[in-house]
Amino acid sequence: MKILIVGAGEVGYHIAKKLSEEGQDVVLIDKDPVKIRRISENLDVQFAHGSGTSPQVLRDSGIADADMLVAATDSDEVNLISCLLARSLNRHMLKVARVKNEEYLREKELFQKELLGVDLIINPRTMMVETILNLMKIPGASEAVDFVGGKVKLIGFFVTDESPFSGQKLSALRGFEGSALVAAIVRGHQIRIPSGGDTIQPHDLVYMVVRADSLDATLARLNLKAGPVKNVFIVGGGETGLAVARALDGKGLNVRIVDHDGDRCKKLATILEHVMVIRGDGTDRDLLREENAGAADLVISVTGDEESNVFISLLAKGLGARRTITRVSKLSYMPVVSAMGLDTVLNPRMSAVRAILQYIRRGRILSVTPLREEQAEAIEAEALETSEIVRNPLYRVKFPRGAILGAIVRGEEIIIPRGDTAVKPKDRLIIFAMQEVVPKLEKLLTVKLEYFG
Amino acid sequence: MNGRLIAHLLSVLVLVLGLSMVLPALVSVWYGESCARALFLAAGLTGIIGLAMMALSGRPADRYLSHRDGVAIVTGGWVLAGLVSTLPYLLTGAIPGFTDACFESISGFTTTGSSIFAEVERLPRGVLFWRSLSQWLGGMGIIVLSIAILPFLGIGGMQLYKAETPSPVVDKLTPRISDTAKVLWKVYVLLTLAQILLLRFGGMPLFDAVCHTFTTMPTGGFSTKNASIAAYNSLYIEIVVIVFMILAGMNFALHYKLLRGNFQSVRRDPEIRVYLLIFGALVLLVTADLYGRTYSSAPEALRYASFQVASILTTTGYVTADYERWPALSQIVLLLCMFLGSMAGSTGGGIKTLRMLLLVKHAYLEIVRVIHPHAMTVVKLGKTAVSQSVLRSVWGFFILFIGIYVLGVLLMSALGLDFMTAISSVATCLGNVGPGLGAIGPMDHFGGLPLAGKWVLIACMLLGRLEIYTVLVFLMPRFWKD
Repeated sequence: MKILIVGAGEVGYHIAKKLSEEGQDVVLIDKDPVKIRRISENLDVQFAHGSGTSPQVLRDSGIADADMLVAATDSDEVNLISCLLARSLNRHMLKVARVKNEEYLREKELFQKELLGVDLIINPRTMMVETILNLMKIPGASEAVDFVGGKVKLIGFFVTDESPFSGQKLSALRGFEGSALVAAIVRGHQIRIPSGGDTIQPHDLVYMVVRADSLDATLARLNLKAGPVKNVFIVGGGETGLAVARALDGKGLNVRIVDHDGDRCKKLATILEHVMVIRGDGTDRDLLREENAGAADLVISVTGDEESNVFISLLAKGLGARRTITRVSKLSYMPVVSAMGLDTVLNPRMSAVRAILQYIRRGRILSVTPLREEQAEAIEAEALETSEIVRNPLYRVKFPRGAILGAIVRGEEIIIPRGDTAVKPKDRLIIFAMQEVVPKLEKLLTVKLEYFG
Repeated sequence: MNGRLIAHLLSVLVLVLGLSMVLPALVSVWYGESCARALFLAAGLTGIIGLAMMALSGRPADRYLSHRDGVAIVTGGWVLAGLVSTLPYLLTGAIPGFTDACFESISGFTTTGSSIFAEVERLPRGVLFWRSLSQWLGGMGIIVLSIAILPFLGIGGMQLYKAETPSPVVDKLTPRISDTAKVLWKVYVLLTLAQILLLRFGGMPLFDAVCHTFTTMPTGGFSTKNASIAAYNSLYIEIVVIVFMILAGMNFALHYKLLRGNFQSVRRDPEIRVYLLIFGALVLLVTADLYGRTYSSAPEALRYASFQVASILTTTGYVTADYERWPALSQIVLLLCMFLGSMAGSTGGGIKTLRMLLLVKHAYLEIVRVIHPHAMTVVKLGKTAVSQSVLRSVWGFFILFIGIYVLGVLLMSALGLDFMTAISSVATCLGNVGPGLGAIGPMDHFGGLPLAGKWVLIACMLLGRLEIYTVLVFLMPRFWKD
């Protein structure tokens, strides 16, 4: 399968990397020869030098026999024109475009078959806003991913010294059977899919699969039942900050938004009804103190400056803010920032990569969500009649080490499996697995990781 | 200044007034009154004055109107109309003195409704008709003034409405006035016809129905009865009048939008909501105050409270009850209504809902800024930010309004008037309401005031009607220098 990727920025680079690792035929197109040279040292992909808006470059990259085009540059216009060209050069290929501008996104007809024919629109900003709002609903968790339309949630949280989990063997944990399950543990930079003998230590990041209807009870048992978020402090009045503020406007929350630009502040104050707009530098400790950011339940740092965001969140945390969400776009910063003790670090480019990969790898495997820098994945797959996994109670199934069955969806029913649970054909399974065991898992499920099945 | 053009346009105004004076003369003929001759004479004299002015001003070559010319025409027009229309009163002998005639005619054209007559029912119908017609014509002037001219001149924060005006031309004063006038006068005439029909339907005689409609739509308040609307003692008539007073107190640009089926923008209008809210809240407050004290039944208290509040808040000035017998709270509420006034862009007077709304919002945000010194606060009207220049203009208007009020009260009390009369006469005239409290209460008249006091009030009526700024600029030496 041949995939053309326009734009060798961070998004394009990571998609190319993942796909080439999975043995796909990738052509990366970028007009910056320096970038291409640097990447070519790391990646086993083909390169084309030139603009994605040039029909000749696209032809030379072999668009005629390509199966898919991913337009992932930072420019909406380049992405849209690439898709338009692709449509005329190869009628049958799938097209994925990264689009940021809300004005374009509002014009739904633009993307339909007759005009651009874009099969998937990736808008990192909207995805980011959704993630932030989702996280606000679960105040104790630092990550939250929805499965099966929100009926199953994956929550990630840091284990504190006081947590009932701390120092416990997983097999010794009682009371979660049937409602929640530990799916992964991150210690330092390492992620592991646990077995019963593993022990949870303080400062671990634990991922748990929880049935949505028992979320409250589970959070309470975990001492994560934090009070609702009432005081929100947004630093950075860019498009993301504004979108979050708008979503929270008029919900009875005390929301403040800080920006250093006077004109921008005026615009924000005009658009927002009940959100207080504060003009000032978010990295100014005195301003944060004066506006009592330390009393905030949630500080969201989304300024245009990566380093400032990290610094602001650390400042706010130091002043006593309950929780912080930090936007860091540079993927190379992620491991360092994660180790700094920030609650939630969101990376819009990473979300874009995830969404594109999920789309590309659809098939029998229904969806894949990469966890923690891609070391592990959450896979949604269907249990087939022919599979070994079907009909036997789970304790008799030879599940590969490094993989765990997190949830079973049977029609409307959600089952968090126990040792004596049996999988039936046509069940949808949510499995968490380390990357290296995915092939073993495929064998077990008798599903090849097919593409475009 | 383009003096020739100003004189020419004012001569047209005088001619129109002369023509309209023929109407009361015809009414007089119809009823076989002896004053018909005097009314025709007044019309003729006015016509001659108009023609003389036109001849003297010649044919103005330059048709360009500057901001300053606009102000001169507005103020000059109202003063001139007030002076010319003393003629019917003086020639018929209805009012013998010039000061009283001037008071009555300025009160008419500014749609105030304060009267020097103790007994109006004795007056010939021709004179009564002219009294009402002068308010109706004044109302036409006010609509154009407040929706087309003031927003353009940027006076008193009304530049906010610059874009609201139903006119295709935004940047030129002259086409704007004529286009807007045509559209809005249609609305005005339509509402007038509707009210005449509804009042007739309630059994009011045609003459009374026309006269009262002519003084309801411009929120004037002159009545053909000594007891005002109370003379009919009909709940139906009172309800019709309340509804039309409230309608007249609404921005006429909104009426125009309503007629074009644009309900959305009316529903979203922030000012109308506050206007109706203030009306509802004050009616409830006064009703609660009256119930059990002045009136024994709640419906009765509601009936009189709502009429009086509607009448004073919209600055019309009809009465159905002697509110001087009401408890102090209700009287104070009515006094405050004289300051509040109705919506901007209506025929009503006072400070106006829009300005009050902006002032309250601005003051609130200033308090917020004490707690959050870095907060960026923007005064908003609906979804749009109100510019600093508008706010400055509104604050300026407010200060001038209160300043002139205080000065007026000082003058009135220096003339020997009692406390209640002094504070209410200036409020009612500056707000273009009509009746006041004390010696000029709902059952009294302004005839007994000292001569100088009448001139103070005449000045107040003009200042209030012309949004203060347009009159005060004439006092600036700079205005006269080119």
